[in-house]
Amino acid sequence: MKEPALDPMQLSRLEVALHRGSANASEQLAKWLDRPVVIELDALRLSPIAEATEMLTAGDDPICYCSMQMQGPIGGQMILAFDDSSGRELADLALAQPAGTTADWSELAMSAVLETTNIVCCAYLNALSDQFRRPNQNMSLVPSPPEFHRDYAQSLMQFALMDQALEFDLVILAETTFTIEEKPVRWNLLFVPDASSLLRLGQWLGKRDTGVTDANSDEC
Amino acid sequence: MGVEEDSQRAKPLIRMGEMATGVDGDVLRTLLGSCVGVALYDRRKKIGGLAHIVLPRSRRADDPPGKCADRAIPALIAMLERDADGAIKLSAKLAGGAKMLSSSKTADIGEQNQRACEQLLRELRIPILAQDCGGNQGRRMSFDLSTGSVTISIVGRGDIDL
Repeated sequence: MKEPALDPMQLSRLEVALHRGSANASEQLAKWLDRPVVIELDALRLSPIAEATEMLTAGDDPICYCSMQMQGPIGGQMILAFDDSSGRELADLALAQPAGTTADWSELAMSAVLETTNIVCCAYLNALSDQFRRPNQNMSLVPSPPEFHRDYAQSLMQFALMDQALEFDLVILAETTFTIEEKPVRWNLLFVPDASSLLRLGQWLGKRDTGVTDANSDEC
Repeated sequence: MGVEEDSQRAKPLIRMGEMATGVDGDVLRTLLGSCVGVALYDRRKKIGGLAHIVLPRSRRADDPPGKCADRAIPALIAMLERDADGAIKLSAKLAGGAKMLSSSKTADIGEQNQRACEQLLRELRIPILAQDCGGNQGRRMSFDLSTGSVTISIVGRGDIDL
């Protein structure tokens, strides 16, 4: 079996960086929704792709998701996924309207969740960009405009993880959970770096197995 | 549960890189994104198999046999020959190979998977009776071994019978 892209020490350092991303995203989303929000890194998973594709749901129910491609020193996908009812709940919050107002995926409802995705993902990427800042290197992570889809969860996950699957037997993805006003909501934010970014992240996170961090990465 | 469902045995979803075979009465199912589902069927013996192919070509000797087209299709045929206990005459139906996230670096992997399967089946002289590939949405593929029919479900669209 091929060695995973990151060893346990590097994964642990990446986890610290992602916690900071979650904190920044929580703050920005709380401002957008005008209420307390906590986004927490639930798990940084290293698993076979067949298992990872079942992370959102093991069955064949469709889900909704908004995806943004990351470009720059870290490439890959950021995905905000939710079932229909949780997504409509999010639209109601973003549009400051009573719960249950959004009955279907109208242009306005889709626009509300796309903007929410944009805010959360950009906050996350800004925090990551700060974490991995290097001297004399442009660390700006440029996200693409978000896209709204409704599809089978496993089909989405296959596609999002394909780039890693081409290079590694075990794929890495970060999963976060959301709490709004102390109530858990069923939204999932997924950070799925591509294979070349994982190798680059590995260099920034310190040498494999030695515990020695790369220059400038000691804050991670 | 209806009469039709009573007479059918739906098996668990076939996951990425896995294969399964079955007999008359079984229904094999999988969910596809850029991966390609290859359904092989012997109409006379009513046996068949479904492979969930992830990549066009193997890169390493220890890749699971069902992961890549070049090894999955011969391996599925071998499984069916063993199950049939004799000569078999197979036909194929394909589905999948979508490009789901428009800006992804691996956007064309679905098309590569489709082409690799088509080429290998041609070399093995297995006719492709029908296929539903490409596009930008995932597919649920259900293969009914009583009839050899393949039903494709796409979210927001009606079912397609192949």
